[in-house]
Amino acid sequence: MNALYDSLINTPTLAVALTLAAYLGGVALFERMGRPSWCPAVLIGAVFTAAGLWLLRYDFADYQRNVAWLTLLLGPATVALAVPLYQQRQHIFALWKPILCSLPLAAVLAAFYAVLIAWLLGAPPAVLASLAPKSVTAPLAMGIQEQIGGSLSLMLGGLLITGVLTTIFVSLLARLLKITDQRILGFALGVNGHAIGIVRAFELGPKAGAFASLGMSLVGVFSALFLPLAWRLLGL
Amino acid sequence: MKLLRGFLWLLVFQLIGHAVVEWLSLPVSHAMAGLLLLFAWLLVKRRLNENVATASQALLPLLAMLIMPGVVGVFFVIDEFAGHWTAVLIALGVGTFLSVLTTLWLMLRFMPKEAASSDERKPQS
Repeated sequence: MNALYDSLINTPTLAVALTLAAYLGGVALFERMGRPSWCPAVLIGAVFTAAGLWLLRYDFADYQRNVAWLTLLLGPATVALAVPLYQQRQHIFALWKPILCSLPLAAVLAAFYAVLIAWLLGAPPAVLASLAPKSVTAPLAMGIQEQIGGSLSLMLGGLLITGVLTTIFVSLLARLLKITDQRILGFALGVNGHAIGIVRAFELGPKAGAFASLGMSLVGVFSALFLPLAWRLLGL
Repeated sequence: MKLLRGFLWLLVFQLIGHAVVEWLSLPVSHAMAGLLLLFAWLLVKRRLNENVATASQALLPLLAMLIMPGVVGVFFVIDEFAGHWTAVLIALGVGTFLSVLTTLWLMLRFMPKEAASSDERKPQS
C-alpha cells in the first residue's frame, strides 16, 4: 500500500489531475456563487488544491516539481498574449499621445506607491520585490519575478488582492469624481487591476473592456521591461 | 493541425526570445521576449497567421489555470512572512487606492474628450 502511495505521489499525472480537478471545481463554485468579483475563481481553485494536498499528505515542494509538467505551457501561453495586443493596434495608434503621456507614469506609480509604503513600514527586500509587479498580469509578473526575485506565492497573492481592490476603488472613485467615460474607467481597471479589472470592465460595457485589455497589456509589457531594469539600477 | 502548427510557432518564438535574452543578457523573461518578438513580427507582416490565432485562442483561456499552482503557495508561506503581513496589506490597500486615483487623474488630463457618439451608456456601478 505504501509503495502504491509513493508511486502515485511521485507521478506528475496525479499532480496534473489534482490541479485540473481543483480548477474546474473552483470555476463551478464560482459560477454557483454568481461570479462574485471579490472572490476570483482561481482563488477558490487554489483553496481546493491546498485542501487536496493536505488530504493526500502531499508535500508542496513535490507537488511543485510534478505540476511543472503542466505549467510548462505558461511560456507559450505568455507568448500568445502578443495576439490580443496586435488586435488592439488600432486603439494604440489612434491614442498614442494620451497613452504615452499617462501609461508609463501610471505603471511606475502603481509599483512605486506599494513598494514605498511597504519600505516605510520596514518590509525586507524580498517582500518589496514581491509587491512591485502587483498590477501586472500574472504570466508577465511571473517573468518579472524571475528577474527581480522575491516570493512567487506572495507576489501572486498580492496580485489577486490588488485586482479585487482595484474594482472596488474604481467604482467608488467613478461615483465620487463623476467619471462616466468608459475609456477612462476601462483603462484604469486594466492598468491597475490586470485580468480581474478586465472582467469588471466588460460588465461596464464592451468599450470599457477593450480599453481595459489594452491598459493591461501595455502596463504588463512596460513593467516587464522597466521593473527589472529599475531593480538592477537600484542594486536591490 | 492548425493548433499544432500555431503551438510550434509560439514555442519557436519563445526559443528565439530565450536565445536573444541569454545572448544579450537582457533583464526580461524568455517568454516576455518571445511575446515582443511575435508582436513585432505581426506588425511587420500586417496579417495574423491563422495557425497562431488558433493556438492563442486555445491557450489564453488556460492562463488562470496555469498560474493557480503558484497561487496555492500562498498558503505555505504564511509563516515565512509572519510579521510582515500588516505591511503587505497596508501597502496593497493604500498603494492601490493611490494608483487608481492617479491613473484616473492622468487619463482625465490627457484623454481627448470623447466625440459625442452613440456610445453614451452610463456605467452601472
